[in-house]
Amino acid sequence: MAEEKKIDTKSFWYRFKNHRLGMIGFIGIIMIFSIAIFAPFIAEEPGGYGTAEEILQPPSKSYIFGTDYMGLDIFSQVVWGTRASILVGFIAVLVAAVIGVSIGLFSGYLGGIVEVIGMGLADIFFTLPVLPLMIVMAAVIGSDIRNVAIIIGLFQWPKLARVTRASTLKVINMQYIEAARSLGLKQYKIVFKHVLVNASAPVLVNMTIVMAGAILSESGLSFLGLGDPLTWSWGKILNNAHQSGAFISAWWTSMFPSLAIMVFVICFNFLGMGIRDALNPKLY
Amino acid sequence: MLSYLFKRLFRGFITFFIAVSITFLILRLMPGDPTTLLIGPNMTMEERMILLNDYGLDKPFILQYFLYLKELIQGNLGISFIHREPVLKIIMGRLPWTLLLMGVTQLVTASVGIPLGVIAARKKGSNVDQLINTFTIFGISIFIPWLGVTLLYFFGYINHFFPIGGAYMPWNEGAGLIFIKDVIHHMILPVLTLSVIYLANYVLYMRSSMIDILSEDYIRTARAKGLKERKVVWKHGVKNGLIPTVTMAGLLLGRMVGGAVLTETVYSYPGVGRMIYEAVGKQDFPVLQGAFIILAFSVILMNIITDLIYAYLDPRIKVG
Repeated sequence: MAEEKKIDTKSFWYRFKNHRLGMIGFIGIIMIFSIAIFAPFIAEEPGGYGTAEEILQPPSKSYIFGTDYMGLDIFSQVVWGTRASILVGFIAVLVAAVIGVSIGLFSGYLGGIVEVIGMGLADIFFTLPVLPLMIVMAAVIGSDIRNVAIIIGLFQWPKLARVTRASTLKVINMQYIEAARSLGLKQYKIVFKHVLVNASAPVLVNMTIVMAGAILSESGLSFLGLGDPLTWSWGKILNNAHQSGAFISAWWTSMFPSLAIMVFVICFNFLGMGIRDALNPKLY
Repeated sequence: MLSYLFKRLFRGFITFFIAVSITFLILRLMPGDPTTLLIGPNMTMEERMILLNDYGLDKPFILQYFLYLKELIQGNLGISFIHREPVLKIIMGRLPWTLLLMGVTQLVTASVGIPLGVIAARKKGSNVDQLINTFTIFGISIFIPWLGVTLLYFFGYINHFFPIGGAYMPWNEGAGLIFIKDVIHHMILPVLTLSVIYLANYVLYMRSSMIDILSEDYIRTARAKGLKERKVVWKHGVKNGLIPTVTMAGLLLGRMVGGAVLTETVYSYPGVGRMIYEAVGKQDFPVLQGAFIILAFSVILMNIITDLIYAYLDPRIKVG
């Protein structure tokens, strides 16, 4: 078996810096985060109603993304919507990681019945149509933005569970784990300090992909009308456009929020590619 | 083969059982009165009493669960708040459209994605391969409503190549060949939307499995025998490369249902997805719950069919 080296931070950064797509994703994400943090300085918080002349105006100098059916500036909606998407993404990844990593870790480390149940559950959630299930949950529980984020996280864990199990299986046969065992370390210390730390690299890569998936899910749910009515999110801007019936003739009402969603998602997918390639340069 | 089939059927049963149990838990464990979720605000007293009795909402929790399962086996998914009709009946009227959309999409993505994946694998590292790879990254990042709206804007609104919604023109219903042509005409943009999204999966899987296979010994043997390269790749290589791709195609179905919900909403396509969208707006919980159960059932059934195709492709399973 190949010797699994610990992540060499210096050479990782060197390889990551030279990964064009990875860097594009990284810089893009930093820019989007800055927009979210500095939203109040970039655009006014959208709210209220516009005047009659301001309804469904195409992009112009004063409204660079145009206005919606209530005469509100779409640019400021998109800017403020950044916050919602980031919030949802982070909560969902956190929930998915806590569930997925623990199930994967214990399935890989303990094996036996734990593994059968854990991986069996992951298989089942892979097979089921998850979006309709999320819709049922969101409709029943209510679409507060934190609820929606938690619901998304509850269904994104199987991917992380599989990846964690696979890398746990690789790590537990390593000599340093045997050494830790023979030194008489406590089980939980071996699992969390040695196994988890060394199995974490592929998990990290997949967390960026889960993040991208979570943002797409939130946008989809909001688009279907399950978004938080009190928070601006990109999916909700689209839902407003769709419900007003002007989402095709007034193309700007749907184009800019959905482009924002895609730019964000592509950045996370690029980042994931960059981290993956920088972690195992042999493969690519 | 028989034990394989039995195992698959058993797994399908367990999956469905868990799906059904989750919906039960969602509807009953939520704070508040479950009757508000199951019984519509404007039902008559009589309907209310029948439902209360059917679901046994006054009985203990565990008993409620078994009653719920019993009703389910009998095909009772409740009554829609809005349409005041049995949920199962409403869904069954919509399901064929969704299945049609998904079936045609699978056909299109498989027949385009598999050859593209093989080409990418054979020309690994070349410009063609790079191009296909970049395209697939964009494919997995596309937000379905964006693609739908863009296609509609250019091909339905600016140029009137395709209708901007629906599945057929009402006046063509029952008009034989004209009706079929009309349905195909309405289906092109929704299928194109779904295909662009899910094509990437076929390409990625086929590419990576073909890269592995083309370096196998039996491929070298086939070449050494003097077989034509085309035959080596497409007959000896592709048949084996399809095996993981078929598994992926089965797993894809569950996610494709999600895509279909969004696509149908954008195109006002009269399938289950569009129905879900309408039910969300009207808080029609029985319809939402029923839609999930029926969609889950369809996906599980199609997965079993996929597994049978897999067994046909991989003779080791028939023996084992």
